[in-house]
Amino acid sequence: MQDWKEGNMSHVDEGTLHAYLDGELPSDERTALEAHLGQCATCRQTLTEQRVLLERASALLGSTRPLERPAPPFEQLRRAPQRSPWHVRMPFAWAASIAVALGIGYLFRSPEQLTPNAALTPPAGPVALRERAKASPVRQRQSARADKVVRSEGTASTDSYIGPQSRVRDVGAVAMNSSQLRNATPAAAEPAPSVIVSGAPALGAVRRMPVTTQWPVISRGTAASLLGADPVGLPGLSTRRIQRNPTGDGTVVVEQTLDSATVIQIFQRPATALASTDSSAAFTPRMLFDERDRAARERAPARLDRLARFVGRLRVEIAGPLSLDSLNRLLEQVEPLP
Amino acid sequence: MPDDIADVYRSTYPALVRFLYRKVWDAERAEDLAQEAFARALVHRPENTRGWLFVVAANMARDEARRAAREKRHLTLLKSEPDAVRSAPEDEIDADTQRTRVRAVLDLLTPRDREALLLWDAGMSYDEIAAQTGLARGAIGTTLARARRRLVEAYDAGLEGGQHVARG
Repeated sequence: MQDWKEGNMSHVDEGTLHAYLDGELPSDERTALEAHLGQCATCRQTLTEQRVLLERASALLGSTRPLERPAPPFEQLRRAPQRSPWHVRMPFAWAASIAVALGIGYLFRSPEQLTPNAALTPPAGPVALRERAKASPVRQRQSARADKVVRSEGTASTDSYIGPQSRVRDVGAVAMNSSQLRNATPAAAEPAPSVIVSGAPALGAVRRMPVTTQWPVISRGTAASLLGADPVGLPGLSTRRIQRNPTGDGTVVVEQTLDSATVIQIFQRPATALASTDSSAAFTPRMLFDERDRAARERAPARLDRLARFVGRLRVEIAGPLSLDSLNRLLEQVEPLP
Repeated sequence: MPDDIADVYRSTYPALVRFLYRKVWDAERAEDLAQEAFARALVHRPENTRGWLFVVAANMARDEARRAAREKRHLTLLKSEPDAVRSAPEDEIDADTQRTRVRAVLDLLTPRDREALLLWDAGMSYDEIAAQTGLARGAIGTTLARARRRLVEAYDAGLEGGQHVARG
């Protein structure tokens, strides 16, 4: 375009210099400009001045940046263009969780042990269940209640994820079948078991697990930024949706479809977030892969300590309408999604 | 394509909020407007989502500014109250002061210069700015050079002559 070559008396105009500094000068012009700068001290001086000017202007503008907050999930936008709808829904999620915890407590109460009062201790639902499993190892007739339990379990899981004080092992309120309950010997409920010792019976009968219906759906990118890592899942399975815990505790669930009727949920959150909220120190990779645990599992396959593991820096739990063995096998295949 | 919009959303949302913030000077309002712009994009499915978003955002900000001006007039009629009276930590005052100054200086620019500057700061290329503003691509460098110079000069002039403005 312009000719700033040697011998040309004209100097480069500011606009061209700014385009050059902005990296927006077409390559042929850039080449010509650089050649000219090599010859012309005046233009070199101007370039320096314009660079200072440009940087100052950027800094001034930069001082008026708003506080950058993460974008709300795109899918939320779709449903409701107005901002932050989940802030509004939160109280309902809580209310539903508490109601369901109450319900679960009621369903699982042991007639010979529980007074109605005990059943009314809402947040203790899963915990109480575990205690009872310990105290009365034989609980044979859970399956009869499977349907009810399963219907409500979704929010129960939400509950266990929601409370900042909730322990992750309680999450498994979702995922235990009657055989586990039967096999939940005192040894299985020893202090700080690696995972999840409680749950609903006869999950095999469940078609699908609407566990996190209250959780906002998020994009994969949002999930990655929440987790600080790529979300994990089962390679080869299609991902139905990704959701996040509405409390913002960093937990993300990836739902994948095994087949048209089977949905697997892979809960995950940064291990660091876990460390800050879980004082039990129960979840270390070492414990999860402890050979002793493995042996114990072979003796008592119902032990649930393989329902959680670490993948990279994420603590991952799996839930789905499958046998524990299947879930364990699937869990072993979990890896960062491409 | 909704998927494209989702991608644009991830990549452009912060820039759009920033762009809007410099127009409405209210972070929450800027977020609202940005989300509204994306929601509209989902309905309209424009060809060039990014460019379209900034056009829509600029229009929304203009409407917003008109509305704010109207409200301000009403408020001024209702009560004449100095609006800088509030307690805040020193740092915050400094940041506020700085923002107020830059804001005032931005207002001194011509609309075209300001628009080019804000669009560039929002991450748009010269091509995109040209498409957006109707300027020739070759004029963008010149426009930005002028806008930057005026911004800096006016800011410095304000600092020299306007200490009492900040204090009083």
